[in-house]
Amino acid sequence: MLIKYEFLKILRKKSTIIVMVISLLLTAFLFGLPILQFQTYNQDGVIKGFDGIAYEKEQYKDLSVPITDEYVTRTIAEYQKLFENPDNVGYDGNEKFLIGDAYWDYVAPRENLLSSIASVYDAPGENSGLNKLPELDLTNGANFYQARNEKIESLLNTPSRNLSDEQKEYWSNMAGKVDTPLQYGYHEGWEVIITSFELLMFAMLAVCIVIAPVFSGEYQAGTDAVILSGKYGKTKLVTAKIISSLLFGVLAFTLHIIVAFGLPLAAFGTDGWNLPLQIAGMTIPYPYTFLQATLINLGVIYLVLIAMIGLTLLLSAKMKSPYLVLIVLVPVLFIPLFLSPNGTTGAYNLTLFLLPYRSTMPEIGKYISYQIGGIVFDVLSIRAILYAVLTAIMLPLARLGIKKH
Amino acid sequence: MQLQIQDLCKQYGTKCAVNHVNANLAPGVYGLLGANGAGKTTLMRMICGVLKPTSGSIRLNGKTIEELGEQYYSHLGYMPQDFGFYPDFTAREFMLYMAAVKGLDAKTAKERTEQLLHMVNLQEVSNKKVKSFSGGMKQRLGIAQAELNQPSILILDEPTAGLDPKERVRFRNLISDFAKEKIVILSTHIVSDVSYIADYILMMKNGQFLLGEPMETVTNGIKGKVWEFLTDNREAAEYSRHFSVVNLHHENNKVRLRIVSDTAPTADAVTVEPSLEDLFLYHFGEDAQSERSNDYVD
Repeated sequence: MLIKYEFLKILRKKSTIIVMVISLLLTAFLFGLPILQFQTYNQDGVIKGFDGIAYEKEQYKDLSVPITDEYVTRTIAEYQKLFENPDNVGYDGNEKFLIGDAYWDYVAPRENLLSSIASVYDAPGENSGLNKLPELDLTNGANFYQARNEKIESLLNTPSRNLSDEQKEYWSNMAGKVDTPLQYGYHEGWEVIITSFELLMFAMLAVCIVIAPVFSGEYQAGTDAVILSGKYGKTKLVTAKIISSLLFGVLAFTLHIIVAFGLPLAAFGTDGWNLPLQIAGMTIPYPYTFLQATLINLGVIYLVLIAMIGLTLLLSAKMKSPYLVLIVLVPVLFIPLFLSPNGTTGAYNLTLFLLPYRSTMPEIGKYISYQIGGIVFDVLSIRAILYAVLTAIMLPLARLGIKKH
Repeated sequence: MQLQIQDLCKQYGTKCAVNHVNANLAPGVYGLLGANGAGKTTLMRMICGVLKPTSGSIRLNGKTIEELGEQYYSHLGYMPQDFGFYPDFTAREFMLYMAAVKGLDAKTAKERTEQLLHMVNLQEVSNKKVKSFSGGMKQRLGIAQAELNQPSILILDEPTAGLDPKERVRFRNLISDFAKEKIVILSTHIVSDVSYIADYILMMKNGQFLLGEPMETVTNGIKGKVWEFLTDNREAAEYSRHFSVVNLHHENNKVRLRIVSDTAPTADAVTVEPSLEDLFLYHFGEDAQSERSNDYVD
C-alpha cells in the first residue's frame, strides 16, 4: 500500500510529467537523428532517409555470407584484377583507387565489407582504407584469420597499452572464443544502437530529477515531521520510498529504451541481431552478437542507473531541497562528458572509463581491463561490479540518512 | 498511561533550545504556552521522535522511545506547525496514505478516513485535491490525520494559527472531542485558545518550563497583580512605556487600562481577577506584547 502511494506521489507531480515528456522527446530526437541523416549513394547520386535505407538493405542481400578465408581471397583477387586495368584506376597524387564502373559496380555495393577486410592488414593505429588490397600477396591465400590474430597480438603488445601478461592472456583467450568464419550481413540498426548508448544519459538525468524530491521534497514541504512520527515513518515508509523510486526509475528508463532502440530498429530493421560484433570492428575481442552486446551493455547501464538512483536518494535524504540534490548530481553525471581519455591505461583513463557517462559506452574495441591481484576484469565486468557495490552501499546509507534526519 | 520527560535538552551549537526540561504527563489537555523561540516546537518534535534530544529521555510508561520503537509511534498523533500536504493528493488519498504510514490495515484505514473526514466536515470535498483547500480546511485535514490511529498522545503544534475566529472556535471544539482519555499537548501563543480547552498549563521560556499548573489555579500566582484604572490619553501613553499593559479601552474621553504589575501603578488602580492572558503577559512582558501586534489575540 505504501509503495502504491509513494509511486502515485511521484507520478502525480506535474514536474514528473513535464520532465518525462521533454526527456522522451529528446531521446526520440537523438536516436531518430541517424534515421533522418542516413544517406547512401549510387551512380545517380545521394539517396536519403528511408529510400536510402531500403537501397542499402538491397545491396547487402548479396553480402550476407560467411567471411571464410576462401571468400576473402576471392574478393581481394577480384579487387586486384580490377586494379590491373589502368582504365579502372584513378590517382589523386597521393593514392590510387578504383574509378568508373569498376568502382560503382564492384566497390560501392561492398565498400564496408572491403574496408573491414582491409583493416585486418593494417598495422595497429594505421588506417589505409583499401590501399593495401592491391598489393597483398595471395600466393598462399589471404590468410585472413591469421592476419586478424596477428593484429590482435600486435595491439595487445603495443607499449602504450601497458598491458600485463595476465591482461594479454585474458584478451587473447577472449578473442579466441570468437566463432570463425564470421558471418557478414546487414546490421545498421544495431550499429546505431551500439554507438549511441551514451545518449541515454539524458534519460538517466531525467529519472534522477524526478526522484530528487523523494526525501528532500518532504523536508522542503514540511511533511517530514508528520510522516516520521508515523508508526512506519522511519521503517517501512523509507523502504517503500526506495522501492517506488527504483520501480519508477527502471520503468521510466525502460520507456526511454523502447523509444531509443525502437526508432532505429523500426527504421533500419532488426536484421543483424545474430551477427558477430566483429563485422563492425575486426579486432573486437568480445565473442558476442550485436544483440548479446546490446543486452550486456544495457545490463551495465541499468546497474549504473540503479546506482545513480541510490546516489540521488542518498543526497535527497541528506539535503534540504531537491535543487541542492541536483546541484551535486548534475556535475557527477555530466562533467565526465567534457573529459576525454588520452589512452587506455593510467589512473586518469581507467577512472574516466568507470564514471557514469563513460560507463554507458561499451568501449568494446579498446581492450580496457582492470587487474586486481592476479584477476583481470574487462571494463564491462568491472563496471557491473562497481555499480552493484555502489548501489549496495548507497541505498542503506540513504535509509540511515532519513532515520537520522 | 504516563509520559515522562526527563532532563531533556536540545542544543544547536551554543544555543540551548530546550534546557533540562522535566515533566510527568498523565491524560489531560496540556496547553503549552510560550513566546516564539521559547522551545515549544523543539520540545514537541522531540516528543514525537522527529528530533533526537542532545541529552535526557522521553519515556512512555517507563520505556524510552528507542526501546518502544514502532510501538511508541503507534500511540502518537502529531499535527506539526505549518506542515505541508501533498497538493496533488485528494483529501481521501492523503488520509489513506497517512493511515498506511501509521500502520492501519486497509479496512480500518477506510473506516477511520470516512469517520474523520465526516467529523472535520470535509466529507463533501474528500475527492478534491488538497491544493484547492483553504487554510482552515487544511488545518482540519491536519488534525484528522493526527487522529487516524486513535492515538493516546496527541501533539498539536499551533493548530489554530492563521485561522479566523469562526474556524478557531470550530477547531477548539474538535480538539475537545478528540481529547478524551488522551495526553494532548497543545502548543500555542494564542492564549485564549488554551484557556477554553486546557486542563493544565505549561509555560515555557528560554527552553525551560516556567510553571506547570492546573488551569483552575494557574493564575493564583498573580492574584493582586492585575490592575485596572481610568486615566487620560496622555498619561495612558506614559503608563504603556513603564508597565505591561494587557488591555486598553477608550471610555468617553478617558482610557481604561489593564496592567499587570507587582505594585499598584497608581493609587486609583484596583485589583481585578487575573486571566491567563494576564499571566502570559506577566511572564513574557515585551516578547508577548510584540507578538500581540502580529497575532490575533482575543
